[in-house]
Amino acid sequence: MPSVAVVAVLFVYPLLHFFRFSFDTLHEGRLIRGFSLDAYRAFAGDAYYWLNVWTTLKLAAVVTLVCMVVGYPLAYAIWSVRSPRARRWVSLAVMSPLVVSVVVRAYGWIVLLGRQGAVNYALQHAGLTHGPLPLINNFTGVAIATVHVLLPFMVFPLLGALDRVDPALKEAAADLGAPRWRIFQTVTWPLTAHGLAAGAQLVFPLALSAYVTPQLLGGGRVLVLSTLIYQTTIDVNWPIATVASIALLMLTTGAILILLQITRRSGRARGLQVQ
Amino acid sequence: MGFRFSSLRRRDWIRVALRIYLGAAVLYILAPLAIVMINSLNATAYSLFPPPSLTTRWYAHLFQLPEFGSAIRVSLEIAAATAALALLIGSPAAFVLTRRGLRWADGWRALLTAPIVIPQIVFGLAMFIFFLGLGLNGTVVSIVLTHLVVALPFVVIVTGAAFLDLDPSLEEAALDLGARVPQVVWHVVLPQIRLPVLAAGVFAFIISFDQLETTLFLVRPGVTTLPVQMFLYMETFQDPTMAALSTLLILGVGVGLLAFDVAVHRRSGPLLRRIGPRSS
Repeated sequence: MPSVAVVAVLFVYPLLHFFRFSFDTLHEGRLIRGFSLDAYRAFAGDAYYWLNVWTTLKLAAVVTLVCMVVGYPLAYAIWSVRSPRARRWVSLAVMSPLVVSVVVRAYGWIVLLGRQGAVNYALQHAGLTHGPLPLINNFTGVAIATVHVLLPFMVFPLLGALDRVDPALKEAAADLGAPRWRIFQTVTWPLTAHGLAAGAQLVFPLALSAYVTPQLLGGGRVLVLSTLIYQTTIDVNWPIATVASIALLMLTTGAILILLQITRRSGRARGLQVQ
Repeated sequence: MGFRFSSLRRRDWIRVALRIYLGAAVLYILAPLAIVMINSLNATAYSLFPPPSLTTRWYAHLFQLPEFGSAIRVSLEIAAATAALALLIGSPAAFVLTRRGLRWADGWRALLTAPIVIPQIVFGLAMFIFFLGLGLNGTVVSIVLTHLVVALPFVVIVTGAAFLDLDPSLEEAALDLGARVPQVVWHVVLPQIRLPVLAAGVFAFIISFDQLETTLFLVRPGVTTLPVQMFLYMETFQDPTMAALSTLLILGVGVGLLAFDVAVHRRSGPLLRRIGPRSS
């Protein structure tokens, strides 16, 4: 199959060739090829690099949790729209940011969240705050914009899960006199909670490796592994860039494996393929 | 009766709360796109809200920057080449994977879809070093091949879902009746999967057009894609020229998406649902 050749030559080989650079050393700005663990040692022994790892994990965890908390009621609200026409428009609206470049969305959030932006304007005019809140060039701004980028990846698996709930089950529960909350608690929620795991499986790894949003909304103050990889590449420190890449790859792979285990254990592994 | 009445009212209350939540969420989702359009007319360069007065000078400024026109052309060419190659290579692979009797089918599938899980900036850096070794960095070819690897898994998944719906007995019947394999593909298989293949092509096109992290290290002046050009511009300037360009892009994408959805909807139900989480 030519496809296998393409993936082998253009994916597997470049990555292996690239990982090889993690064993090189940088001496007075020159790359010295060889087999040393200096780059790994430098990475593990420097608090600055650990800060990058920590911020990466914190951002991914916060973004995934917010996406779950915001996404479940959102999916439920879309699902409860009865008219197919209205539902189609709402789905289209929720999906529409996906086809707009992340750069455009980052720009939109910079304008919205800036000192003189619409959000601070609204907050001050509503009397909620007295001065402008610092909403960009910090973790808050990066988190708000990253949630925006990744929310559809949480909502669509949840919508799929809600769609598969057999309406007859809810009707049966209602006929037997169960109040609405109880129907939700005993029928809808147990049958759809696995959608949250499926969504997290998409959102968490994507949040770990996000680059554009932390770079543009963080204003150089939100240091994650992806921004570190970019910076060290520009500085031609390829050994450290490679070790940081391997660290990021291990985090995303580890997260995917753990989340896969969780969804398997919940016994509902259907429909969880990556979209 | 009293019980019924009160439960009905409670139901309405929940429904209203859900609608309000839905409205707030849609506002959050569309706000950054809306503000971009508003800000493209903002007379101040530092994006003061509300705009003190309106101007069209950012649009005028945009058309004085030739690098964006060239970036759009490069991006469209690369996206078209990527989509064509991804379909040519990806859909036969998906077809083979869905037919029984293939050894290690799960392993092949895992290999073909592996590029989805790799962090894009890591892959971009690896490809930069790879093409640097070949002396190909900064070429359109290097960017197309990189995008191809990223788009291929999506083509395999989308067309694979379509091939699963096919009835193999139709192909067998055609073969039994003496048709040769190319004839079967052309007259039996392709007519049934035209729409999903088209959708996969559009997917691949959009994925390529949107690539940033994978392409960041591969560009050079003159051969720069649109997202990378915008990103580099935004790292230096944050004036509403970006808003003007973004507005044109949003309008273009919006019109294209609506036209595509309407065209597909007329034929066989909304596309978004066919390739959505349900049918995978």
